[in-house]
Amino acid sequence: MTMRMTRRNVLAGGAALLSYSMLASSALSEEARLRLLWWGSQARADRTNKVNQLFTSANPNVAINGEFLGWSDYWPRLATQVAGRNAPDIIQMDYRYIVEYARRGALAPLNDYLGKVLKVEDFDQVQIQGGSVDGKLYGISLGANSATMLVNTVAFEEAGVELPTPTTTWEDLARIGAEITKAGKRKGYYGLSDGSGVEPLLENWLRQRGKALFTADGKIGYDANDAAEWFALWAAMREAKACVPPDIQALDQFNPDTAPLSLGKAATSYAHSNQLVAYQAINKDKLALRNHPLIGKDAKGGHYRKPSMFFSVSAQTKDPELGAKYVNFFVTDPKAAEILGVERGVPESAAVREKLAPTLDELGRAALDYVSGLGPLAGPLPPPPPSGAGEAELALRTVAEQVGFGQLDVKQGGETLVNEVTQILSRG
Amino acid sequence: MAAVQDSAVAIGAGARGRPAAQGRFAALWTKHGAGYMFLLPWLVGFFGLTLGPAVASLYLSFTSFDLIRSPEWVGTANYVRIATADPKFAASLKVTFLYVVLSVPFKLAFALFVAILLDRGVKGLTVYRAIFYLPSLLGGSVAIAVLWRQLFAGDGLINSLLAQFGIEGPSWISHPDYSIWTLVVLSVWQFGSPMIIFLAGLRQIPTDMYEAASLDGASKFRQFYKITLPLLTPVIFFNAVVQTIEAFKAFTPAFIISGGTGGPINSTLFYTLYLYQEAFGNFRMGYASALAWILVLIIGLFTAFSFLTSRYWVHYDD
Repeated sequence: MTMRMTRRNVLAGGAALLSYSMLASSALSEEARLRLLWWGSQARADRTNKVNQLFTSANPNVAINGEFLGWSDYWPRLATQVAGRNAPDIIQMDYRYIVEYARRGALAPLNDYLGKVLKVEDFDQVQIQGGSVDGKLYGISLGANSATMLVNTVAFEEAGVELPTPTTTWEDLARIGAEITKAGKRKGYYGLSDGSGVEPLLENWLRQRGKALFTADGKIGYDANDAAEWFALWAAMREAKACVPPDIQALDQFNPDTAPLSLGKAATSYAHSNQLVAYQAINKDKLALRNHPLIGKDAKGGHYRKPSMFFSVSAQTKDPELGAKYVNFFVTDPKAAEILGVERGVPESAAVREKLAPTLDELGRAALDYVSGLGPLAGPLPPPPPSGAGEAELALRTVAEQVGFGQLDVKQGGETLVNEVTQILSRG
Repeated sequence: MAAVQDSAVAIGAGARGRPAAQGRFAALWTKHGAGYMFLLPWLVGFFGLTLGPAVASLYLSFTSFDLIRSPEWVGTANYVRIATADPKFAASLKVTFLYVVLSVPFKLAFALFVAILLDRGVKGLTVYRAIFYLPSLLGGSVAIAVLWRQLFAGDGLINSLLAQFGIEGPSWISHPDYSIWTLVVLSVWQFGSPMIIFLAGLRQIPTDMYEAASLDGASKFRQFYKITLPLLTPVIFFNAVVQTIEAFKAFTPAFIISGGTGGPINSTLFYTLYLYQEAFGNFRMGYASALAWILVLIIGLFTAFSFLTSRYWVHYDD
């Protein structure tokens, strides 16, 4: 069955094809499509999908395809999609990675849309700064959060110990931890999680000492003595059984389901305030948010209000303006705000916050109160972490484990950590 | 066979009408076209999904490539860093070697043991074969690694069983001294595929040899040692090579059990896991490509070494 090709039917076929493709492209231009990728739990996905429905009902010519993954699967997926020129139009971005992605040209600068499509005038300006890299705006903060200590209020009560207060010091905490362990109300239960490998906790402690994890020019912001003292602090905790032993702590993959708090091993965990929603969902006992302890009675707190996550628009998107429009809807629409609550952090827009406050449930209320009530405990937002920050975090975790399992003493641990982080950062 | 010829004719028919200048190609096409058409899916797969990416990765291994910006030629810098300034490379290689050296012999010994049991005319042999093979089918999956994590966790099933005997087990998966063992046990548990091959090998050994040996008064152990083992050496060799390569490439269990970190303290940092971290965690695709080629080299050397030594211990029946 061979088809005889003549000049005429080639022409006719071509014309038909051409008109068909014109038809198809005009149909496509009516139907715009936005692809959206984020990390998080099912609870977050449900909220996000509802907001997407709201957006499409207000913009019937736009279709939204949303997809979500867990934190650790998210970054490899995003990196491969961007490399394959197949990036989603709207990308949920973290403070940790925004510099890497922005400098590599993967994100669209949003400055041109400010004031027109993006109406974020009443945003906390510091948070707008947080989404900027090299003077251009690449991410719109979806909310503010802060590092926090989650406490199991029931376990504290059982042990007859008062909950930590804003003036609790590290010494107090060590004593409290040891008391809970000693009370022995639960089997194999300890007062505290081992926080020696938890980067935000170390950062808080460093900031109270006037240091930082990273300097503004992307170098390490502390020295081997600081690190050794940090490890010594936790070595003493382990010694006094104030915190869990290293083999229990090593189960923690730094997500809500594997934390010693959720596994029923310890009465505290170190997380971010917006994660209270996810933690409470898998913990039977009532949890509460507390600030990190102070290094001395009159020390200044090391907290800061951090953009919990951003929405960025991909540089590969066909229609960046539509992307900006979507992001604007997500962060300023009152109905969207009511659906989202504070699960992604406390909204940045003052107007939205005001409207949202009365509609919040108890958990949302607690997160909001915590972030807005930090007062003098909160300092300025540090510069975004440099390239290699993710690797540095893993290095902290590994060295903390080496010290915990006794492979290194605290002094060696301090030196090893500072050496490794310095090397990682110099590689960039 | 008839179908092959038919389609060759059909394709040839189209070509026959063309001018003679194309005759040579047309003749070849008529002769072999159908064969190539049948090969096409494999050819596309091989060139598109195996050879192409392999060549690309060889090129990338001489570049610095962050997945987003274009690759930048750096010469042998990646290889130099691997050889001279990467403690994690050494650490991951050590873990991987340990895993290969522990898991392969244990797995083969266990597979052979079960194969011999099954070979002794058990009733319902096929059912047992299927059951024992099951873990190998499931083994590479994420679900099994997750299950393993649950079993060996501090208050998992294993420690609950130990507690029955008054033993307080450690948290196997999160203690650097034990974590590699849980991965070895997981690997041994997936003994199904070498077991099936052993079983086939055992079936090849003529029964009259055993009959003669037992008439001569040889004990069961002596029969195993003097008949079974030597005649089985080609199968053992095959299984050893295949399982060694598999073990070098192991990834999923370590990834799941350590949550992708290779911890605690890099004790489960398999080579492939480190490679993955560099590629997708730290966006160093060029460096990861160099690591991948070093792994190819290592596996190649191991395999060549096995083949070279095989002449001293593998007996082929001729």
